[in-house]
Amino acid sequence: MLATILAGLRARAARLVLSSLAIALGVAFVTGTQVLGAALDANARDGLARHARNVDARITVDAAEPGQSTLVSPETLAAVRRAPEVAAADGRAYREVPLLDGAGKAVPAVAVALETDQRLRTADPVQGHLPTGPTEIAMQDRTAATRGLTVGQQVTLLGTDDQPRTFTLVGTYQQALTRSSLYTSDQVLLLPEALAAFADQPGFTEVVAVAAAGVSQEQLVRALSAVATQPGVAVTTGAAYTQQLLDTFGSQAGQITYILTGFALVALVVAALVIYNTFTILVAQRTRELALLRCVGADRGQVFRAVLAEAVAMGLVAALFGLGGGVGVSALLQLSLGAFGGAAVPAVRTPVSLTTVLTALGVGVLVTVLAAVLPARRATRVPPVAAMRGQPDSSGEVARTSGWRVAAALLLALAGAGALVLGGRINNETSITVTGAGTMLVLCAAVTLGPLLVGPVNRVLGALPALLLGVPAKLAAANAGRNPRRTAATMAALMIGVTVVSMVNVVATSAKATVDAEIDQQLPADYTITSSLYDRALPTALADQLAALDEVATAAPTRTGDIRVDGAAENAAGHLWLMGVGDGVIGTLVRPETATGQLGSLGPDELAISEQAAKRTGLAVGSTVPAVAVSTESQGDGPRRDLRVVAVYRDASGLGDALVGMDTFTGLHPEQTGYDSIMVKLADGVSPQAGRAAVERVTAATPIARIDSAAETKAELGGQLDQLLAFVWALVGLAVVIALFGITNTLTLSVLERTRESALLRALGLTRGQLRLMLVVEAVLMALMGSVLGLVLGIGCGWVMTESLSSAQTQMLFTVPYGQTGVLLLGAVVAAVLSSALPARRAARSSVVAAMATA
Amino acid sequence: MSAVVSQLGTRTAVAARDLVKVYGKGDTAVRALAGVSVSFAAGEFTAIMGPSGSGKSTLMHCLAGLDTVDGGSVHIGDTDITHLGDRELTRLRRDRIGFVFQAFNLLPTLTARQNILLGLELAGRKADQAWLDTIVDTLGLRERLDHRPTELSGGQQQRVACARALVARPDVVFADEPTGNLDSRSGAEVLDFLRMSVRRLNQTVIMVTHDPVAASYADRVVLIADGALAGEITQPTADSVLAALAHLGA
Ligand SMILES: Nc1ncnc2c1ncn2[C@@H]1O[C@H](COP(=O)(O)OP(=O)(O)OP(=O)(O)O)[C@@H](O)[C@H]1O
Ligand SMILES: [Mg+2]
Repeated sequence: MLATILAGLRARAARLVLSSLAIALGVAFVTGTQVLGAALDANARDGLARHARNVDARITVDAAEPGQSTLVSPETLAAVRRAPEVAAADGRAYREVPLLDGAGKAVPAVAVALETDQRLRTADPVQGHLPTGPTEIAMQDRTAATRGLTVGQQVTLLGTDDQPRTFTLVGTYQQALTRSSLYTSDQVLLLPEALAAFADQPGFTEVVAVAAAGVSQEQLVRALSAVATQPGVAVTTGAAYTQQLLDTFGSQAGQITYILTGFALVALVVAALVIYNTFTILVAQRTRELALLRCVGADRGQVFRAVLAEAVAMGLVAALFGLGGGVGVSALLQLSLGAFGGAAVPAVRTPVSLTTVLTALGVGVLVTVLAAVLPARRATRVPPVAAMRGQPDSSGEVARTSGWRVAAALLLALAGAGALVLGGRINNETSITVTGAGTMLVLCAAVTLGPLLVGPVNRVLGALPALLLGVPAKLAAANAGRNPRRTAATMAALMIGVTVVSMVNVVATSAKATVDAEIDQQLPADYTITSSLYDRALPTALADQLAALDEVATAAPTRTGDIRVDGAAENAAGHLWLMGVGDGVIGTLVRPETATGQLGSLGPDELAISEQAAKRTGLAVGSTVPAVAVSTESQGDGPRRDLRVVAVYRDASGLGDALVGMDTFTGLHPEQTGYDSIMVKLADGVSPQAGRAAVERVTAATPIARIDSAAETKAELGGQLDQLLAFVWALVGLAVVIALFGITNTLTLSVLERTRESALLRALGLTRGQLRLMLVVEAVLMALMGSVLGLVLGIGCGWVMTESLSSAQTQMLFTVPYGQTGVLLLGAVVAAVLSSALPARRAARSSVVAAMATA
Repeated sequence: MSAVVSQLGTRTAVAARDLVKVYGKGDTAVRALAGVSVSFAAGEFTAIMGPSGSGKSTLMHCLAGLDTVDGGSVHIGDTDITHLGDRELTRLRRDRIGFVFQAFNLLPTLTARQNILLGLELAGRKADQAWLDTIVDTLGLRERLDHRPTELSGGQQQRVACARALVARPDVVFADEPTGNLDSRSGAEVLDFLRMSVRRLNQTVIMVTHDPVAASYADRVVLIADGALAGEITQPTADSVLAALAHLGA
């Protein structure tokens, strides 16, 4: 039997190659993600190991009393250094320190203290050296690259007093590429004494120590526990610290690998569909051969095993190629992640473990075998007499099982929609899993229903080409619809990719549209000046300077703060996030939509409240309520005022829970001396360029002032959205490529199957061009079916998602990106034309007489 | 170019001169046609007969422009088709030739009616409704027009193929063993129809067959042996054909 199988494989090699490619790509993705994950892990471990390198004991403040500092005090460090068991000790500290960029604007950065002892340092210099003097600074290479700074240049940090301090950049250093490389902010390195100038309170996040010769980690810990008398401190061994780091790392594990694995799964499912289709067609075409085998005495089991053995062999070969490809994929991903960070690319690692190899082979073989089981079962049902029959009729019968299909599809779709709604409601990491599962369920429903959909969808889609292109297109539509199962499996592969892309697209676009609309609607200011640093307010003088500009019509400052309305005591429900606005701002620069009451201007002690907050606190227009300010700093109660509700407005995310006039606000929060933001409306006739220049002139003296324009905010959002979509596209692209292989594959096999039919058509007067056109149209129809259904599903799922993401505060604007949808459809058509090129060429090339001779 | 006209003054529908067809190269080369000259008058029903492997199908394929020739020429009406490109040949087949094959004549995706009209549709022509009705009724296909080939018997399928071959009123209909797969009754129906189309409608039909009874429906039988012409019989009967074939050693 083995000889027969091998001979069969050789004979069908060409046909199997295309399908093997599909599996190989899927496996490559799985392997790639695994290798990438392992490489990032190894990098991260290296990075973590640096933190724990040479550390024999570590001191932290674990149990600080309320009001107590969570930092290890300099006295403790000094005491530790004095201990005879200690060879060296260092305090590690970091501060958020604003960094002035090239334009003199503050951007948030993290300054880290350089350990004095060589053994305890964690940064590896790349260029130059690490700081040795109080005016020297080193910068993470990524930061230097993004800021366009080179060694020798000046770097300015902003002190707590808002005064700039200048340092000389003496070197760059590298951090290991870890998962956090994607989102960590700019980082610089200073000597501890230089960093101290930026700290409100002295102290260290941790103190690490190296034991003197002959002192064990446990002995050191005991000794230090006696020395460190600061309340709340904990002393652990270096070994325990290492373990702790690894544990923390493990718990935040895998975001990227996790998501990539999800996409690998999609690619594999698509590949499985392609394989399934290939085997189905091959079995259909080999009906006679299989029947002949049965005639000469092969039993059902042997036929079944023969088909499966073929699948195993194919899966193995494909998996091996996929494994090799996967290592390449991982290297590429690492390079692009490195490029994303803007740093010099760290050494690419490709740790291939036995698990990775086994997974690749296992997945490749398993998926292939699973995909081949159904066709193999079908093969066993080929009766020996089929050998005597003429042309095998491979059109599948679907009507028989339609009832079951509809029922199963309905169940799956309901479960999927439920999961999608749930996914939108949940507010943590499981959300993405639940959403992914929901999408998969909906896709399963569509795949189940697929064969029933092909007929009607094909009739609708086929009508237009038939009208435009005549007979060849009509024949193509008939061919696309003649074997619903085959067509369904082919288009399903594409449908899956399109669904995922269009769903992400719809949700992302809707989110952007929602935010855009809010910006336009409620904050129609031309510019909004805010502080680039979370905890520093804008100086009040800035508002006056802006208002004094000729180019500016209004400069309206705002403040925000917490109040508690009476009767709600310590209950969180009684808290209102209050926004204070100046005179004449409401209705011009702040435009909430009024639900009840009048919202013209807010007089003394008048309050406008959002619908949701009104419901929460039970306030309505006309009610007067005693309110008390809650200060963020002292946690104590501030001044009290009786506030009267004059209006209730529709919820809007930018406006907080309630609005009051600026005087009322100051009465409640007199401690606030600066402004949270200043909204600027340009005078009529002032060009955006002139207006911006004028505003910039005034804000130049205030480094923390950041100018946002609505247009820029929107553009920035758009850019982020495009990045996200590009990422998703790149990942789903693979599934789409596999799906297109599937189209080529199906078409090639169909062309072989219909050799005589094509010959007949040619004899009857179909030109070569028309024959090619026929196949192109067939491919386009299959691709369109897949993408149209995918779009419908994707947009549908997107709608469910936006609906469930909508809350009382934000009603998501469901938005379909028509342009991109159009591009997607166009792309599918072009890709289909390309994927039909080979089979079409082949069909058109064969001579009529020769084709007629094939049985 | 003057029309090729036979001595009797009837128009010649198809003519082959010194037709040579070689399959393969070198040692394995097979001379399927070794210089065949034969002509077929318009309005005549001709049967081509000969032993298996004698080159009947090859001759028909060359005459119909389905295959290229290695020597000699083929005329359909006034047109020398031996030098036509694929596009012109295709158009010629579409507009001027009808085909009935032994099997697999119909597209499984189309109904009987669509199959019948396929050639006309490809040519972008309208069917002559009266003519279509005549054909359909004569062949007894009225009830079957909306069936697909899989729902038709072998004889019905062949009749649909005949209808398709004739509906466009081609210059010539080529039939390669049209009754090869049919029982004698169904075969007789198909042959009757072909003969009727020749007698009443002046259609030209060239049919390859193995069956002396089928050949007896024709006006003339052309005998082929080893790729060369081996005689002809006019006004054939089953017996005279059988005798001639026996003489050929078939
Ligand atoms: N494609 C081909 N390649 C090589 N030789 C061929 C090819 N087609 C036909 N032949 C050879 O040409 C000769 C004539 O074949 P042809 O099919 O014309 O015979 P035929 O008279 O139609 O036979 P039958 O009655 O069996 O159908 C045969 O010897 C055959 O082997
Ligand atoms: Mg023959």
